[in-house]
Amino acid sequence: MKQILNILLFAPLAALMFVVDVQVPGEGQPPSFQLVSEAQAIAGVRRRSFRRGVVIGSAASASAAQASTAAPAQQQAAQPQPAPTQPGALPVGMVVSTLPAGCAPMTIGSVEYQHCGVDYYRSAFQGNNLVYVTSQP
Amino acid sequence: MNALSFRMATALFVLVALALAASGPVAAAQSAAVDPAATRILERMTEYLGGLKSFSVNTQLTIEDVTDRDHRIDLDVSAQVTIDRPNRLRSERRGDITEQTFVYDGKSLALFNPGENVYATEPAPATIEGLLDYARDSLGLIVPVADLVYHNAYELLMQDVNYATVIGKTVIEGVTCDHLLFSRPGVDFQVWVADGDKALPCKYVVTDTGQPGWVSITTVMSDWDVTPDVSDAVFRFVPPEGAKRIPFMRPGASTPSSP
Repeated sequence: MKQILNILLFAPLAALMFVVDVQVPGEGQPPSFQLVSEAQAIAGVRRRSFRRGVVIGSAASASAAQASTAAPAQQQAAQPQPAPTQPGALPVGMVVSTLPAGCAPMTIGSVEYQHCGVDYYRSAFQGNNLVYVTSQP
Repeated sequence: MNALSFRMATALFVLVALALAASGPVAAAQSAAVDPAATRILERMTEYLGGLKSFSVNTQLTIEDVTDRDHRIDLDVSAQVTIDRPNRLRSERRGDITEQTFVYDGKSLALFNPGENVYATEPAPATIEGLLDYARDSLGLIVPVADLVYHNAYELLMQDVNYATVIGKTVIEGVTCDHLLFSRPGVDFQVWVADGDKALPCKYVVTDTGQPGWVSITTVMSDWDVTPDVSDAVFRFVPPEGAKRIPFMRPGASTPSSP
């Protein structure tokens, strides 16, 4: 019982610590101070691993949208998604910086896709980065 | 690889961020800690650059990084930039990690990755400054040396500066330069400005003082040419054989825009 109590006490505390870790780098700076967050995004690997959660959740800004390519992005997770085209397929609009293994180019209409298992990806520039976006042909 | 190239892309143009982030006027009352000798040299540099019809420069950028295993590493990327005011720009970044060409001819912009042989192109505003704003705001695209191009670069750099001093003189790439330090909350930046008539920047270091570690991003600028080749071909993008056109994915969009 005491152990359970400890866990119950500890869990929210741990969650709180995580939240603080996640939010601290992005907050407390005047909005104009993009440079600092840029530098953090570039340089703080340990922070970056936390920051992704923040960045991906707020895809509105350009830098955030760019930063989301650093991780297999669930950038669109907060938005309503169309039903997958096939069972097991990824939702349309997911952005990744590298394709999974075993893809084959496929032109449908005039658009070239990469066909990877049950998923179709389109290449696009997201800012300066080449990314691949799950699409429905 | 692409995660790295994101970092490179972001960092290559951190100078831009410095300029773009600052949007208000210079604080009216700067403290006595701002040495006018330092601000004079900075202003001389921005005025000299601002007065150039065209220029080209090589930039060598070094980003300090910390690996997941807590080792300090440096990441490097080179870029060559040609500006022809008011409406033409070309930049080429080359390195192991990232290769990209950006071309703007006053009518349209093109971004080309030779490694993957893919490009995107869009209609663009009529001036370089309009282009830089459009590229950043509408495409999430960062273009090199924007801070050198904006006509109010001095005001942008001096935003919130509360300490400025002249450190001394040194020699960079064979050029005698004045070494200046500027500080504002969370950020220190050092600028080295060439001595003499041509007040060109030699080097630029931006340090994040708002976080432990004080990591920096360093840009060394060399091979300044104030009479570069500005023939039409420099600013014209012709897709190579087999290059595939792809769309831009605009910031906040959930699908790529039509190419």
